[in-house]
Amino acid sequence: MMRQVLIALLLVVPAACSLTRGARNPAAAAASSEAAPADAEAAANAPAPPAPTRQYHLSGAASALVTQAHARAAAGDYPAATATLERALRIEPENPLTWIELGRVQLAAGNAAQADNMGHKAVALASGDPNAQAAAWRLISDALRVRGRNQEAATASARADTLAPH
Amino acid sequence: MVRRPRKYRLRRLLLGGVLGVLVAGVVLVGLFYIYVDHVVTQQFQGRRWTLPAQVFAAPLELYVGAPLSLSDLTAELARLQYRARDKLDRPGSYHLQNDRIEIALRATRFADEMRAAQTLSIAAGARSIEVLRDSGGHDLPILRLDPLLIGSIFPTHGEDRIVVTPAEVPALLPAALKAVEDRKFDTHHGVDPAAVARAMWIDLRSHQIAQGGSTLTQQLVKSYFLDSRQTIGRKAREALMAIALESHFSKTDLMNAYINEIYLGQDGDRAVHGFGLASQFYFGKPLGEIELSELSLLVAIVRGPSYYDPRRHPERALARRNLVLKLMADLSVITPQDAQSASSRPLGVTSRGAGAYYPSYLDFVRRTLRRDYRDSDLTQEGLKIFTSLEPRAQDEAEQTLDRELTRLERSRRPTNASLDGAIVITAPASGDVIAIVGGRRVGYSGFNRALDAARPIGSLVKPFVYLTALETHRYNLASIVQDAPVDIRLPNGGHWRPVNFTHQTYGPVPLVRALAESLNLATVAVGMDIGVTHVAQTLQRFGLERAPAQVPALLLGAVNATPVEVAQLYTGLANGGYRTPLRAVRAVISASGEPLKAFPLELTPIAQPDVVFEVDQMMQQVIERGTGRAARTVLPADLVVVGKSGSTSDLRDSWFAGFSGSHLEVVWVGYDDNHPTGFTGAAAALAVWSRVLAGLGTTSWSAATPESLTDVSIDYLTGLQLEAGCKDKNNDAIRIAVPVSTQLAKQPGCVGALEPGFAERVGERLRAIIHK
Repeated sequence: MMRQVLIALLLVVPAACSLTRGARNPAAAAASSEAAPADAEAAANAPAPPAPTRQYHLSGAASALVTQAHARAAAGDYPAATATLERALRIEPENPLTWIELGRVQLAAGNAAQADNMGHKAVALASGDPNAQAAAWRLISDALRVRGRNQEAATASARADTLAPH
Repeated sequence: MVRRPRKYRLRRLLLGGVLGVLVAGVVLVGLFYIYVDHVVTQQFQGRRWTLPAQVFAAPLELYVGAPLSLSDLTAELARLQYRARDKLDRPGSYHLQNDRIEIALRATRFADEMRAAQTLSIAAGARSIEVLRDSGGHDLPILRLDPLLIGSIFPTHGEDRIVVTPAEVPALLPAALKAVEDRKFDTHHGVDPAAVARAMWIDLRSHQIAQGGSTLTQQLVKSYFLDSRQTIGRKAREALMAIALESHFSKTDLMNAYINEIYLGQDGDRAVHGFGLASQFYFGKPLGEIELSELSLLVAIVRGPSYYDPRRHPERALARRNLVLKLMADLSVITPQDAQSASSRPLGVTSRGAGAYYPSYLDFVRRTLRRDYRDSDLTQEGLKIFTSLEPRAQDEAEQTLDRELTRLERSRRPTNASLDGAIVITAPASGDVIAIVGGRRVGYSGFNRALDAARPIGSLVKPFVYLTALETHRYNLASIVQDAPVDIRLPNGGHWRPVNFTHQTYGPVPLVRALAESLNLATVAVGMDIGVTHVAQTLQRFGLERAPAQVPALLLGAVNATPVEVAQLYTGLANGGYRTPLRAVRAVISASGEPLKAFPLELTPIAQPDVVFEVDQMMQQVIERGTGRAARTVLPADLVVVGKSGSTSDLRDSWFAGFSGSHLEVVWVGYDDNHPTGFTGAAAALAVWSRVLAGLGTTSWSAATPESLTDVSIDYLTGLQLEAGCKDKNNDAIRIAVPVSTQLAKQPGCVGALEPGFAERVGERLRAIIHK
């Protein structure tokens, strides 16, 4: 037990001051439900604020496509919105924000299972960016709620709030 | 006395007979005309050419930051047959000045929208686009070039055509056709008796029926209703049908039908019909954009598409083209000056096989569509099919395969058989198939090795053995496994005693090294521990369609797969544990532009992202230290890629499969007759794989370490953890990720044996404080 507390402390302390690689782990501590983070919280006497190590944003090209996709989705043309977002995805396949947008359109089109998968894919890609991760968890939460899995939806939503409070 | 009446009677009989025959003939001809008239109007009235589906490549996306140099751009414009001009003129041209290029885009149909013609201006540096503006000088966020037409789906031995409306036809074309083929077209009633007489006279003198003398209407009839045998009876029928047609349809109608109907060339099984397709077939551009010299060549070809084939008989074609130009000038259709200057132009025909013709890829497209469409839908309905093909990547892959195979063959004793190969390239995040090379002889639609050569995958299976092991949570990348002789008793009483490629054993090795160096014995030890059944299940989860035989030899790749199937298997590894179905077709739209079918991206979770990350890290060491290290001499030093080699018994098959951040590539090299190649996966397939990847301008594999894992340093040879105080004497330290709570055995004799990375973290903290 002592050792775990020590590990947790060692992980959290550097994170508070630096934005280097090592700081990815506290985010893990906050997002996972293993024993160590609980201990970390106890030791630090406050919830560990996730320290961003990167911040995703959309490029000009991708954001123009996202805007176009929103217009198409608003008009109810989900296949065209999807096609537009896939163009953005080809330009930025590793950007979690594009996957979240694609998941949102899937959800609107009634394809909650795909939205859920895309949300999880975005969570993995967004490692180190709590805002992007929170957006991904909110998508997952909405997708779960549509499928009637309210309990899990609430958990996902709480996870999002821990990462990036509203 | 007796003879005269007989003579008289005979004469009367003869006269009567002749009269009777004449009357009967007239009646017959009359009846026949009525019949012909009926047939002609019926068939021609509701005429509708069967329109083969047209297949398009992915359009090139232009945006600021797009990794395209000016020469990449001009190469793409050349593929699309845009012409370089001193000043921007009609759509389909561009103007290059210093680092700036202005393009007059054609009106274009995309899968999801129609775009009007417009101009744009681009400034590009050595590596990427820096400025993208419209004609008004406003910055454009993103814009697509036209999708390249890469082929059509026509019936076997069938007609292919692109139908054009009168508005799409250059005004000069009907004029040129009339001048050369049928000067009295505007006034005759279907036949031109003077021309027929002239032709008959020439035919009689040469004792054969060769001379035309047919009006455009007769030629149309012949092509539309009849086959090409020339007999007197057929000639008569043709003339009657021509007269019938003329009585019902306008000259404009007939001219347009002629322009769309007439046969203008042969491309293997495909018959090129109509000027719309001929313009694409010979010049690679729309009919509306052809120039006088090109138009004259097409008109020249009408007389004999085989005899005047500009690719096989350029001198004949050139002579006849210039004759056409002269005739046009003689009849004042064009000025003598224009004729003169057009006559001095080269033929300008694009080379076949170079670009815009990708039979291996089309084969894949056709098979994909067969699941949803009947053959007749594809060959008759004028569908437009939008694919993921990237012509740049496809060209790169085709050229590299041939070049490397030639080089490899030179390095060996000459054999009768020719070394062959296949390449599949995809964008793993979306599952888009961007290139397929089915063999060395590109441009021939023969055996498609990428789709049909199912071969044992050898060591390509190993990442799935280790993935299955990691999923048990009993292994990590630093786990020690024994590379020692194994003897497995088979159910049939026999024994299986595999050996390493080097015929040596390596003793205790960390998991990461066992994969990187493709150690067979260590892999079998791990595989037998976790169970062959589980490995087989993993393969099926990742997309292997046939259930593999659950025998120990499966652990070393005793399972057949085609290059495309391997690409599907590796997609899950490249895509963070999600399977995305490979797709060549993005969308299908109808002839009128209505969307019919989309093939949207789908994700299916098939493995935990962290486990896949660990496997990818092992495969990174294949390139850095293992069987794939030769790639490092070819790839840019800072480009991170991952992959795995595969060879089968007696080196019959040489494989390499792997991926970067944006591309997944699978290469197979071998002989069709399954003859040993003498090359390992590392020797042959890797040489192709790395050179193709280097030519694609790809991005690094850069997945973030999952939050359940932590980065540590270990000794590659022993698997012992290296802490901050440990000296990396032999350059054997590698960074790997292990589950957060993992306890690793540590390299003895180092300071700071507290907790994983403790000294390192303290050092970082100190540095951070000092720098503040």
